Amino acid sequence: MSTQEIRDPIHNFIRINPEEMQLLDSAPFQRLRHIHQLALTYLLYPGATHRRFEHSLGVMELASRVFDVVTNEDNVIDGSVKRIIPNGLLGYWKRTLRMAALCHDLGHLPFSHAAEDELLPEGWDHERFTVELIRSHEMKKILSRMKLDCEDVAKLAVGPKHYKESRFDDWEAILSEIITGDAFGVDRMDYLLRDSHHIGVAYGRFDHYRLIDTLRILPKASDDDLGSQELALGIEVGGLHSAESLLLARYFMFSQVYYHHVRRIYDIHLKDFLKNWLPTGMFTTSIEDLLQITDNEVISELFMAVRDKEHPGHDAACRIARRRHYRLLYQRSREDLEMNREAGKAVFEAACEEFGSSEVRHDYDIQKGGGLNFPVLSRDNRILSSLTESDALEKVPLVAIDYVYISPECRKTAEIWRERNLKRIITSKEGEDEC
Amino acid sequence: MLKRMQRDAVLLSLMNEMRAKGSWCGETHIQKSAYFLQELLNVPMNLEFILYKHGPYSFGLTDAITAMRADSLLEYQSRPPYGPSLLPTKTGQHFLNQYPKTLDKYAERIQFVAEKIGKMGVAELERQATALYVTLNEKGISNSRADMITELKPHIKRDQAEKALESVDAMIKETSEKGY
Repeated sequence: MSTQEIRDPIHNFIRINPEEMQLLDSAPFQRLRHIHQLALTYLLYPGATHRRFEHSLGVMELASRVFDVVTNEDNVIDGSVKRIIPNGLLGYWKRTLRMAALCHDLGHLPFSHAAEDELLPEGWDHERFTVELIRSHEMKKILSRMKLDCEDVAKLAVGPKHYKESRFDDWEAILSEIITGDAFGVDRMDYLLRDSHHIGVAYGRFDHYRLIDTLRILPKASDDDLGSQELALGIEVGGLHSAESLLLARYFMFSQVYYHHVRRIYDIHLKDFLKNWLPTGMFTTSIEDLLQITDNEVISELFMAVRDKEHPGHDAACRIARRRHYRLLYQRSREDLEMNREAGKAVFEAACEEFGSSEVRHDYDIQKGGGLNFPVLSRDNRILSSLTESDALEKVPLVAIDYVYISPECRKTAEIWRERNLKRIITSKEGEDEC
Repeated sequence: MLKRMQRDAVLLSLMNEMRAKGSWCGETHIQKSAYFLQELLNVPMNLEFILYKHGPYSFGLTDAITAMRADSLLEYQSRPPYGPSLLPTKTGQHFLNQYPKTLDKYAERIQFVAEKIGKMGVAELERQATALYVTLNEKGISNSRADMITELKPHIKRDQAEKALESVDAMIKETSEKGY
């Protein structure tokens, strides 16, 4: 079977064989050509028009490279690692990992994460759709032709946080960590590299060649009674600076791009538009419905709404299309945080009372996951903690946002109101301590 | 069910008590002690635990710890040769003081957990927490609980599993006598 090469701006060539190509040509995967990776970020950074399609290909390519490195006999130094690697089945698991990487984002709603929080019923998220799509008739048929079990693919694609049907053994846990892991997941590696490339910023770059080359499966601690012998994805000490650079890239991309206040308000206006336009104010949980809606259908409706004053989403659509988005009224400071951990909520509630809830929006989010503490293999073959070996990792800041926005129509009055009332609002709020 | 701010106050208080009893108080120590506090002592923190890293593990708790670090309530303290400890900051202590009723309600249970497992290292915590997980979740299994533990966590030896089960059974008896 001849391998095909796909040109890619990040990884140069992505190689894919004819069997895998069938999955690439499937309707659920082709749909990803029409889902923007960064939602409406292109309204701020015009280059950010890349889609989930190429990101998924990149994740497959990187997952493949990591698999080859960590299963290479020369890199398997510990007996406990040798025991979990199923030597006779390495080919099966590599193909499964590649397909899981390719499928890991299948279930995204239009505009990726932008609308996921509020527009799906409780218990639903894009990972659940991903699992449902991998189990769909079309995908199952393709995977079974490749002699792959769709449950194995689903398991590795979304990881233990989202796949609840069965437990992960040590080997499956490592493989899913290759895709979804907090520290070295290739999903994150690809999106940082790809997003920074398309946006035109350097923050997201790091030496992923060096990093991948030094990845190893390692016990969490050296062999004594205090530390666990459980296996995890770690690195050789020579790759520590590349790992630091990856985690710093994540910090910079969150603070400069993903949590940019204008980008976030566009997500909110998009949610407002969808709530007003969708028949029940939410997306359905049918995968047939999901497959029929992409960014294209939403954008087309959005521009119709701009032209039609009677359209229920008219106002939100104009906010997006005419760049009349709400403006930042309040952003939590460290000083505010010390007085009131929910300062943004307090300001939001007070502003709603003053100006009406339709004029005010609140956005609160904090970086998720951990990922800074991973095993490091020293030059004398000891297992050390990354946080004791690297001063930089311990100091990588976390990004949290607590924004309150006001409509441009109320902006001037609201700014005067904020100057006069902010301190009183923040300090008057006490924590809820009712049991 | 505790609200998010109340839950975080309980977690910070648990860290203080664990540390006072000699715990290293790294992330794994916090994960396992929170598991005991919720599942054995019935403190309703609304955390979902699955069998994963070093035994029962909650992704939600990892996010909660990250959020507390982002909000400057918690910070890492590097302590070679093992991983770092997590310490409540001055802001964290100030935050704790805002929840006297919540903390008072759960103080005894927090003390209980800290006394029982505060001195344990990661490997021992992993065994004990896995033993509790198997005991609470694998009722009606055909093979013994010790077999189940060694099957789920192959790096745990059978005699270590049996010892962990004995200790967990004694804790279950004690908490039921105390009416938690």
